Amino acid sequence: MAAATPPTGAVEVAGSIISLAGVSRTYSLGRVEVPALVDVNFDVEDGEFVAILGPSGSGKSTMMHILGCLDRPTSGTYRLAQTPVADLDDDGLARLRSRTIGFVFQSYNLLPRTSALDNVAAPLLYQGVGRSARMARAHAALERLGLGDRARHEPSELSGGQQQRVAVARALVTEPALILADEPTGNLDSHSGAEVLTLFRELNAAGRTIVLITHDAEVAAQAGRQIHLLDGRVAA
Amino acid sequence: MSLLELLRLSLSRLRTSRVRAALTMLGVIIGVASVVALVGVGRGTTSNITNRLSSLGTNLLTVSPTRQDATSTATLTLDDSDAIANLPSIAGVAPEVSTSLLVTAGDKDTTTTIVGTTAAYPRVRAYEIWQGTFLTDVSVERSLRVAVLGATTATNLGLGAADLGSTVSIGGIPFEVIGILQPKGGANFQDPDDQVIVPVGPVQKYFVGGNDVRSIGVSVADGGDMTATSNAIKALLRERHQLAATATDDFTVFDQTQLLAAASSISATLTLLLGGIASISLVVGGIGIMNIMLVSVRERTREIGIRKAIGARGRDILAQFLVEALTLSLLGGFIGIALGLAVSALIGRIAGWGFTFDPTTVLAAVLFSLAVGVVFGVWPARQAARLDPINALRYE
Repeated sequence: MAAATPPTGAVEVAGSIISLAGVSRTYSLGRVEVPALVDVNFDVEDGEFVAILGPSGSGKSTMMHILGCLDRPTSGTYRLAQTPVADLDDDGLARLRSRTIGFVFQSYNLLPRTSALDNVAAPLLYQGVGRSARMARAHAALERLGLGDRARHEPSELSGGQQQRVAVARALVTEPALILADEPTGNLDSHSGAEVLTLFRELNAAGRTIVLITHDAEVAAQAGRQIHLLDGRVAA
Repeated sequence: MSLLELLRLSLSRLRTSRVRAALTMLGVIIGVASVVALVGVGRGTTSNITNRLSSLGTNLLTVSPTRQDATSTATLTLDDSDAIANLPSIAGVAPEVSTSLLVTAGDKDTTTTIVGTTAAYPRVRAYEIWQGTFLTDVSVERSLRVAVLGATTATNLGLGAADLGSTVSIGGIPFEVIGILQPKGGANFQDPDDQVIVPVGPVQKYFVGGNDVRSIGVSVADGGDMTATSNAIKALLRERHQLAATATDDFTVFDQTQLLAAASSISATLTLLLGGIASISLVVGGIGIMNIMLVSVRERTREIGIRKAIGARGRDILAQFLVEALTLSLLGGFIGIALGLAVSALIGRIAGWGFTFDPTTVLAAVLFSLAVGVVFGVWPARQAARLDPINALRYE
């Protein structure tokens, strides 16, 4: 794979790209308050490859939603690319997501009945990029992941590994400061899973910041640093 | 996102579910088509009535006798007719006596209406002479046996321009053909071109007897007051017929234009009514769109979640679903307009009043289907836009 260009996202990053200070997230289930995250503190520096590791029920998903700006902390401060997330409304969160984060999900989450090319180009649509530029950049991203010849295929015509690579291409196409991957190998066979992890290491070597959320210690071992979550707290 | 991008998105979406899109549009298509067709047919009827209105003769009052009770015999006479002619604001008076007789010309014959009248008849009844001349005051005064043929009658008898001066036999009495009328067309329950016009004298003398006339057509002068003239005629006839102040009229004065104006207004009201009923089906079509869009939001919850995760704002999702609903309603609207115009053209052709393209109806139909799309598209689109991305992504 060719070297990925270093992040040139719209936001200039100096120091920590992710900074959590005393972050808690509590869900209300009727009258019962269920704490999902309790007083979480950690930073992720620009260019790091961090794995957040924890068994199910440890608060991983909540962590992923908070980090991905899909949810807000109940208390504490989360700064993404120096921007305090608490200050933003829904549209502001959408804009921050669109500029800063590339998502890779366990179940790929590609748009159904939509070609790989259009899937990869979709984030650019919401950034207001013109059609021809969109198509050119999406094509380049697919080429970079060795899927140039699959551009016209729809997700149902691709293997799991190929779909996940399309999803990675979609995450990369906006040149985001951060790639946020949620169990990216969870639905893949070991071979395809290893390929995706190699891909992440290469992207990281080229300067991309990656946060990978997993329950699998072997997967987490691929990262430069591990953060262990247990019962909503960062374990020592 | 630009409108073009949204349109592209919604068209590619509709392409992936063609049958559903077609069925959804069908409601709007039927609604718009029935509104356009019914309004078109209604307008055709109205203009048809208006045309007949002018072909019946303008400023026309018709005086006819009425029986007061079983014993009395109400009559109008030629003398009544002459008296009316002396009233002010009268342009012409044509008394009519008619009967139905066999008319023979050479080896052809036809049974038709024989109208005995005066020279004022064409003016009063709005006929024009096509060949030859009409009755003159002289020929009426002298009760000459001359005849003017209606266009249909002339055709039935095989007579044309070359046959002016020839003789036809009416009920066994020979008459000289002096003219042929221009056809009026517009066949009602009675063909206005199937008749023979002769001076009133011979009809009374040979065929019906007496001095009575069936009716008196009165043409009021341009600028004359129809109501005032009508009242003047009533007063005159009451006096002539020596009616007591308490007695009811033994005649009626009938204003034909009023009747037709009323008919025309009834037709316009019916058009409005039919259009209103048809627009109910348009509303039903709109509800169909809303229903499908709500189902679509449900089905595509995950897609909405994905789009939000990769940067779509609420309003991007709102716009996407709204434009989809609008595409359905407008596309359905355009097809419906084409269908409606075709149907009203076909009906106009069969009924014989032709087809007039009415841009106001088309514009109204377009705006209406646009409104249907907005009204019934907004709610589902808002539902889509409000979805929480986390739940939407989890949705299976």
